[in-house]
Amino acid sequence: MRRRLRFALWELALVAAGAVPGALLRWQLGVQVGPLLAAGAGGVAASNLLSNLLGSFLLGILAGPIPRRAPLLLLGGIGFCGSLTTFSSWMLDLVRLNGQGQEAEALTLLIASLGMGVAAAAAGLATSRRLLPRLVAWVRFRRGLRPPGPLRSRR
Amino acid sequence: MSWHDVLLVALGAVPGAWLRLRLINHFEPMLPRRHWGTFGVNVAAAFALGLLVALERRCGLGGSGLWLLLATGFLGSLSTFSTLMVEVLQVVRDGQPGAALLLALASVLAGLLALQLGLLIGAA
Repeated sequence: MRRRLRFALWELALVAAGAVPGALLRWQLGVQVGPLLAAGAGGVAASNLLSNLLGSFLLGILAGPIPRRAPLLLLGGIGFCGSLTTFSSWMLDLVRLNGQGQEAEALTLLIASLGMGVAAAAAGLATSRRLLPRLVAWVRFRRGLRPPGPLRSRR
Repeated sequence: MSWHDVLLVALGAVPGAWLRLRLINHFEPMLPRRHWGTFGVNVAAAFALGLLVALERRCGLGGSGLWLLLATGFLGSLSTFSTLMVEVLQVVRDGQPGAALLLALASVLAGLLALQLGLLIGAA
């Protein structure tokens, strides 16, 4: 019983540690960047689209063949990416644009979100498939070539 | 950006994300092969957001504190776009583009309907 409670608390702490910065980033993108992109409801919609695309890209990286540890998935995937992206606000943006007589914009937002969202997730997946292994190999190669420096050996 | 507002968004985000984890894990124990967890969480959040918008219009809740806590924090964290996109991508990569399109369109349609239903019930 005690172990289960400790596990639940650990899980909650990891999710919370990712969810709080994710939600704060989405909120601040809406407050700071939204008005720069478009006025009124369009700006809110654009900033939500931006955070959705960013989160989809990052979750695409996590869905790739990287060493997937449970803490990383809980903190980065469920916590950060899940909180950074939002479905409910996207729906509200669609309804608001449609209600303001901007039907074409609403339809564009709908199609662009779906298309660009899948594309962003695919780009993230491709990044973790192709780029990350090369990066890791490059870092190992560099480390192998260099003898441990004075800063490291002093410790 | 005051610390009060930051606290409100954070206080809403933590239970939202935790509830999403528990619900998705409940519906999809190990592998995200069936997509009912994400679908259900998103539709429920859209319905609740519709209800909240209607109540705000009706009662003039005015103060943005409740909006930050419930809409930006809780419902924004409860619903997720990235998981849906990765699920759609996985279905496409499984060689079922038709099913992927169906999942995406069904999610959007159900989300829009749920939001409208929430607006209607809140305004009634």
